[in-house]
Amino acid sequence: MRAALRDMAQAKRIPFEIGKIYLDEDAEQDRVAQTLIRNLSGVPVETIRDKRFLIKQFLGKPDPLSAGKKNILITRFYGRRLKSCPGTSRHICCGYHVINVITNCPMDCSYCVLQGYLNNPLLTVYSNWDDLLEEIDAFLSSGPHALLRLGTGELSDSLALDSVLPVSQILVPFFAARKNAVLELKTKSAEIDHLLSLDHGGRTVVSWSLNPLKMIREEERRTASLDERMEAARKCQEKGYLLGFHFDPIIDHEGWERGYEETISFLFRRIDPRGVAWISLGGFRYPPQLKAIARERFPNTRIFLGELFPGRDAKFRYLQEIRVEMYRKLVGWLREADPDLFIYLCMESEEVWNRVFGWSPTNSAHLNRLFEERLKGFLRA
Amino acid sequence: MKTIRMISLRQIDLSDETFSVNFLADLQGLRSSIQEIGLIQPVILREKGDRYQIVCGFRRIRVLGELQIPEAASRMVRENDVEEFKLFSLALHENLTTRGFNAVEKALALDKLIHYFRIDPTVAIRTYLPLLSLETNEKILKTFLSLARMEDEVKRYVVKEEVSRSNIRRLAAFNTEERKAILSLISCLKLGENRLREILILLEEISQRDQCLLKEIVDRPELHAIVSHKELTPSQRTDRVKTALMNLRFPRRHQVEEGFKQKKKALDLPPSVSLQHDPHFEGKRLKMELQFETLEEYQSLLAELFTLPEKKAFQKMLEEEN
Repeated sequence: MRAALRDMAQAKRIPFEIGKIYLDEDAEQDRVAQTLIRNLSGVPVETIRDKRFLIKQFLGKPDPLSAGKKNILITRFYGRRLKSCPGTSRHICCGYHVINVITNCPMDCSYCVLQGYLNNPLLTVYSNWDDLLEEIDAFLSSGPHALLRLGTGELSDSLALDSVLPVSQILVPFFAARKNAVLELKTKSAEIDHLLSLDHGGRTVVSWSLNPLKMIREEERRTASLDERMEAARKCQEKGYLLGFHFDPIIDHEGWERGYEETISFLFRRIDPRGVAWISLGGFRYPPQLKAIARERFPNTRIFLGELFPGRDAKFRYLQEIRVEMYRKLVGWLREADPDLFIYLCMESEEVWNRVFGWSPTNSAHLNRLFEERLKGFLRA
Repeated sequence: MKTIRMISLRQIDLSDETFSVNFLADLQGLRSSIQEIGLIQPVILREKGDRYQIVCGFRRIRVLGELQIPEAASRMVRENDVEEFKLFSLALHENLTTRGFNAVEKALALDKLIHYFRIDPTVAIRTYLPLLSLETNEKILKTFLSLARMEDEVKRYVVKEEVSRSNIRRLAAFNTEERKAILSLISCLKLGENRLREILILLEEISQRDQCLLKEIVDRPELHAIVSHKELTPSQRTDRVKTALMNLRFPRRHQVEEGFKQKKKALDLPPSVSLQHDPHFEGKRLKMELQFETLEEYQSLLAELFTLPEKKAFQKMLEEEN
């Protein structure tokens, strides 16, 4: 880790506006904190004693989330940072594990579930990385797990801050040395420069969330363009990384068929499908509290204008007829590119799996085993 | 202001509403009282040139006029003795101790404080919102200020139907033309808070999705037919309007629902058997409910249901849709 921190050049560019860094005095001595501050050398730093007071101050602002995204809090995290992906109740999930490195995200997607989920609006970087690596190490050494998938893209974008924060430089080599785990770095950015020089040992999957141009432009603020994401993916593939793609959320909008078909066609003009570990499909879904928050923040968003209804887990989803139609079409276009692609549905019911694929994993554990087999195939090769 | 004088109503400028926040005042009780025992509490007037301005007592003076009583017992304020804002504050306190304000009157009071008397919004939030029994935050102030700027017919609807603050905020998001269109639809319906919220959201989302004027939705023949159907009760009208708007808002769901109804009709089930789908067609599971009183009825129903699997329509209903 020390080498990774040392190697980061000074005063890096960052594609986001950061107004201030709040440095928790407990984190002052952490090397990750020092690296981040050094790399954002133009950004003022204020040392704070009471982060709860700071968070309360931000929560009192007219739009806490927008304000929070432009300010970084560097602090330590004293709880568990590696958890099973909560998935969703009464649906088939994939047995993923999430690593909590950063919470919140400098990007600002109108559909982002974090808007209604986080009680700390600041872009928060946890600096006690030694503890985190120990925790991951202990977890991976704790049992005869076959092949686990862990990722950092649950509470933030995995790579959005990678040019100034050495996330990939610490985690990729760490996982390269592990036999029973694969790291997934999930992003909407094109921040892959550091990845290109790392020895990943085939143990890191770099994945991108994809949506048609129109949706990126209208609903995914401050993310990389589709072209930038594809180019970044191409470069990673060139360096031997396995790739993943997530058509999630699939958004029902005027011209969606053409939009997604073109996106898929565009993708496989740049990317060799044989090096794609997995592709997920997930229709737009949201917990009930999100709509009011997102509509307040993005009055012109059109994402809530589809036919969305509460499901068995209380989340709103498109009418099943619509979801099945969308999934079937996307699966068809993807299979045209390569019939052997590993495509799965995120947070869907057995019934929907059956209607889309003609079969279904019997449960979440079964889907997890299918992932393992898929990955083992790549690792053997 | 201690001396009470009798002032002729002709000397009072009834058109000057500087200190008034009256809206849809209920004068019935006051009228009976003045008719019975006369004016108990003198009004407060302010000299203005050769006439008088009403500070407190707009409703009393109006009733006196209606009852053709020519004079009002009045306490007087000289033109430059007390500044206007203090008199407005006096009027607010006087009204609050005697009758209280409806939502629009609160809105008008806040609007005058901010826009006429130029009170700082933070002072209005801290001092005047609690005086009007409102929570002290900016959102509430904004809600009431937006209400003050709405059209009179919308204000009347708000008072009459006791529209909630969240629905006032929804109404405020529309422009004048849109609110007029909405009012033409909702004024003949029986809407509680939840129904009004649902209707407003449906209208807003259809208009946003189809990028059409709200008036175009309200003027659709199916809605027009419901609203002008004389034999429907307000509740029936409300249910039908909501269903029509739901069908417009969720056309695919409507299509699936119609398909289900057709299939159900083909089953020719007895009237005492109800067959229901998942509320949002999330699964294919069906729910059947039987109603019976006697053993014979029960046996007869079961006999009919026993033949269901032989019906093609029933098989079709249950078959996989791949």
